[in-house]
Parts: sequence; C-alpha cells; structure tokens
Amino acid sequence: MTAKRLRIFALLAISMMFLLAWAFPIIWSVLNSLKTDSDVLAYPPKLVFAPTLEAYRDVLFGSGSILPNLLSSVIISVGTTIVTMLMAVPAAYALARLRFRGKKFAGFYVLATQMLPPVGIIIPYFLVLRNIGWIDTYQGIILIYLSFSLPFAIWLLVSYFEDIPFEMEEAAYLDGASRLKTLWRIIIPQVRGGIAVTVVFVFLNAWNEFLFAVVLSGNTVRPVTVAMFNFVSVEQTLWAKLAAVSVLAMLPVVVLGVVAQKHIVKGLTVGAVKGGGRR
Amino acid sequence: MSSQGQVSFRNIVKMHGEFAALKGVNFDIKPGEFFALLGPSGSGKSTTLRILAGLDAPTAGRVLIDDKDVTSTDARDRDIAMVFQSYALYPHMTVAENIAFPLEMAKLPKSEIAPTVKEAARKVKIDHLLDRKPGQLSGGQQQRCALARAIVRKARLFLLDEPLSNLDAKLRLETRAELKKLQRSLGITAVYVTHDQEEAMTLADRMAVFMSGEIQQVGTPAEVFARPNSIDIAGFIGNPPMNLVPARYVDGDVIIAGHRLKTTATTAGERDVVVGLRPGALRMTEGGLGARVDLIEDLGDTAVLDLDCAGTMIRMRVADGNIPGEGDTISITARPQDIHLFDPATRMRL
Ligand SMILES: Nc1ncnc2c1ncn2[C@@H]1O[C@H](COP(=O)(O)OP(=O)(O)OP(=O)(O)O)[C@@H](O)[C@H]1O
Ligand SMILES: [Mg+2]
Repeated sequence: MTAKRLRIFALLAISMMFLLAWAFPIIWSVLNSLKTDSDVLAYPPKLVFAPTLEAYRDVLFGSGSILPNLLSSVIISVGTTIVTMLMAVPAAYALARLRFRGKKFAGFYVLATQMLPPVGIIIPYFLVLRNIGWIDTYQGIILIYLSFSLPFAIWLLVSYFEDIPFEMEEAAYLDGASRLKTLWRIIIPQVRGGIAVTVVFVFLNAWNEFLFAVVLSGNTVRPVTVAMFNFVSVEQTLWAKLAAVSVLAMLPVVVLGVVAQKHIVKGLTVGAVKGGGRR
Repeated sequence: MSSQGQVSFRNIVKMHGEFAALKGVNFDIKPGEFFALLGPSGSGKSTTLRILAGLDAPTAGRVLIDDKDVTSTDARDRDIAMVFQSYALYPHMTVAENIAFPLEMAKLPKSEIAPTVKEAARKVKIDHLLDRKPGQLSGGQQQRCALARAIVRKARLFLLDEPLSNLDAKLRLETRAELKKLQRSLGITAVYVTHDQEEAMTLADRMAVFMSGEIQQVGTPAEVFARPNSIDIAGFIGNPPMNLVPARYVDGDVIIAGHRLKTTATTAGERDVVVGLRPGALRMTEGGLGARVDLIEDLGDTAVLDLDCAGTMIRMRVADGNIPGEGDTISITARPQDIHLFDPATRMRL
C-alpha cells in the first residue's frame, strides 16, 4: 500500500466517522418510526424487525393528529418567508446601493441582531405580544420571526447585490428604465440565486424554530416542532410516534436541501468570502 | 447631417470632497460631429462623459443639449445612448433581448421591435448571434452587442467610454474603422472618451485634450498636432511625441546644446524656453546640431533614433534606407516653422 493510498484511506475513515456522528440520530429516527412501540423498547435494540407504518398512521390520522400542526408550521414558515423577502429585497438593494446617513449603523444593527442570544429577549417579546393580544396568533409569531429573519435575509442578500456592477444599472437608466423597472428587470434576475438561497434559509429557520414557538404559541397556533412534545409525557414517551413526527418534520428540510443544494453551497461560499457567520 | 445632438458645457466643476476632478470645463460639440475627449488617465474624461449622460451631477456649471439646459434632467430623460468600457450587457438576457431593452422601455410596439433589433444587429454584424447570452460571446462580439444596444434606439447623442480598450490590437484597428463608418452612416453626434491619442487622431472630427481636470485645447486633430497649446499636450500627442528640450531664446534663434537654430516663433527679448521638435520634423544635414545615435528602433518603413545631443535625449524619425548605424555621430536640424516654443514656467505655448 502506497503512502498516498494510506492517506486517502485515513481521510475516508475520518469522514465516515463524522458522517456517522451526523447521520446516526437521523437513521435512529427513521428506524424507530418504522417500529412498534414494543420493538423500540426492546433490549438489545433490534436491527431486524417487521417495519410498520402504524406510527405514521397514528400521528397523521389518529386522535392526536399533527396535521393541524404541520399546517401551522407551513403557514408560519411560508408567511415569514414571503413577508421577509418582500421587505428584504428592496432593503438589501438600498443598503448595497444608496448612500444615506446611518448606513453604517444600519449594517451594524443587522449584524447585532444575529449575535443576540434569543433567550435574552424571549420574555420582553412575550410581554409585548400579550399586551397587544397576539399570543397564539399567526401574526404574532410571524412578527417575532421577522425580527430575526429580516436582518438575516438583508445581510445575506446585500452581498449578492454588491456583486452587481453599478454600470449595469446606469446602462439600464440610459436605456430609459426607471429605478423600479431596473430593479425588477435587470437587478433581481441577476441575484435570483441569492434570493433562492435566502428563501431556503429563511424558510428553514422558521420551520425549525422551537424556542420562540414554545413560548409564544398556544392551542390554536402550534407548529410541529412544539406539537412533537405531545408524545412526551410524565408517564411515558411514545418513541415510535415521536420518531415518526420528527421524520415528517425533517422531510421539507431534506427536500429543500436537495433541491437547492447547488445554490446553498454557493450561498455559503459567498458568505465565507465576505467574512460572516450565520444563525 | 442631423440637426440634433448639439452639446455645450458651461464652466462645469466637479468636486469629490476637496479634490477637483473637473475645474471649470467648457466646450461645444456640433450636431453630427465625432468628438473625442482625450487625456491621460485620471484627467477627468469619464467624469465629463458621466456628467453629460446625467449619471453624475456637476458641482457647478451648466450642461446644454440642443440649447436646452439639462443640468438637472434625469439620465433616462436625456435621450442619450452610451457604450460602457465594461459593456454592461445584461447577462441574463440574450443578445436580442439586450438590444431590444431600450426599445421596450421606449414602449415601441412589439411588432416593430424584432425587425429593428435585427437591423441594428446586422449593422454591427452580429445578427447570427441573437440567441446567445453575453457570456457565450467573445470580447469583440460583446463589444458589438453593446454598440447595437446603443444605436438601436436612434438617440440624439452617442457616448462611448473607451469602447475599444478591451479588444486586442488587431480587432481594435478594425473596429475603429467600422465605428467611424457607423457613426457617419447614422449621422449621429458621438462623444468618444479615450486615452489613446492615436485613436482620437484617427476617429475624431474635433477633440478636447484634458489635463488634470482642465481642457487645455480644443480643435481638429490636425490643429492640435500642428500647434499643441502646452508642454503637456505636446508630450502627449504623436507617436513618439514631440521632443521637449530646454533651450535659450535669443532674438529669432534658439540655442540648444550650444547650437543655434532659426525659428519663426517669436517671444520678447532673451529668455529660457522649452523647444518642441516633432521627431518627424528633424532631418540630417551638414553643420547642424551634433548628436550620437544611441539606439535604433526599426519599425519597418521608418525607424526611430534615440539621439544624445550633449546630454539631451532627442528622438528622431527617419525613412527607411536612410538609417545611420548605432554609435554614429550625425548632425541634425529643423526648419524654422517646425520649432515650437513653450514657457517653462506656465508650460503654455509662446
Ligand atoms: N468618487 C470619487 N471620489 C474621489 N475621486 C474620484 C471619484 N471619481 C473619480 N475621482 C477622481 O477624479 C479624477 C478623474 O476621474 P475620471 O474617471 O474622470 O478619469 P479618466 O480621465 O476617465 O481616467 P481613465 O483614463 O483612467 O479612465 C481621478 O483623479 C479620480 O481619481
Ligand atoms: Mg475613464
């Protein structure tokens, strides 16, 4: 065995270890979601078992169906994404292009919101929402999510807008386009990759969010991340169902991830080059 | 010739903080003229063009187009087409869509757009590339696409900022000739920015020579070549440019390195001057200014000699077949009317 082969082998082994550490919980969830509750608790764990979709049937169509919660999650995530993008695109464009007083501060503010530990502001958020009667409402949760997703989306999009040369817009003005037309016909088509990445990140952040959801939601609006814990109680934990729900909750993440993989990798490198982290 | 496309700059000043990019610029462009803005890098040519286009606002002064004050008119309302140095093609659109964009913005009926686009593309010989994206074009083809986009709308002014600088030498020469023909056939006023004096000399009907934010001379290429207004212009125009030699003026003669030459240029009394001598205006003669041949650059039909005249470097152009050897000592002179005099203090022509 040559030294080069040895190195490749070692690299492969190390990568496999990392991959396993990452993949193990997911494999565990998928396997358990296909077991009966008694199989789950069997010791030693059964690697060979008769797979069943019982847990899925129960969590979807049984008495404690999580379908309404999935719907809540969809409404919250889609709502957050739409509102975020509608505001973030023009804001990012402005930050990238216009010179105005307080631009530096605005940029700093955007970053600062990303550094704040969420637990620190959860109580004030709760109090504010309660006072205006928006606890357990879609608008309440979306509003709070916006406070994070908007700065994040703006910050991510700005780097894409900054990559477009000024002359591109100037050419459009001279061709007779208004500022809005230029934004719509010339600029946005060129940053659609960045917009795709931002949509994915914002959607997934909203979809995966738990901390704020658990405090600000209630019986009417309860996203799936919170509802999952219906299956955990003092007396017992319904492992198979819990696993089934988590697999269902992971599905959109995986699908989006696969669909947008190319864009996401590019998005991550843009961020890396421009020197920033992300939530 | 069209009657549209007359331009006047009146005392245009452009400040960037404390720095004056333009220090009071004045010029007039006649309708249908090919007007070049020539000058070294950083002299304010692009700034001037951008102010004319309405992309930048001047700090002071007025811009008039066709006798109307447009100083505060929006770029898109000025009816001006421009070719950028970077071409600024829209990368997500095909060549056809790029060329059609100004027509769409002008709300031309759809049925007229396609034939007009085709016609403009044909004029610059890219009608076979209409379905490509800019990224799939060569540099020269991109440049033509940018040209087509600029001429398709029949704007009253046609601005070009160093449009040839990204092309290789051969293509630059070809495109240069075509550009001139195109402008002639369209009868449109063109304002052309370049730092390449040869480009300006060959293309322009008239040109303005910029030096550090000021126009030092406006005129036809022949006028500027024949009578440069300042030392800076003299040292900028021509290839190789004029020799500029410190000398002493004594009633009707200049004394260079101890040798007297007659001149038709006159100035008062006896004083220090800078003498300008075109390399092509020098000739070999008996009993002239002695010079040693240091280096010969053979260009084929002519050669440029680097001469050492008692410590002063002078370049001279000679026809082929008349070339001395390196290290030879020759003797040179110039006709009185070919001797230009400049003031070493003000750097202006005397
Ligand atoms: N935004 C700006 N801030 C400060 N100075 C500027 C700015 N824009 C241009 N300048 C300065 O103004 C001067 C003129 O610039 P301009 O672009 O007009 O030069 P130019 O003649 O086109 O040169 P080049 O041939 O290199 O393109 C330069 O010295 C430049 O540094
Ligand atoms: Mg320039």
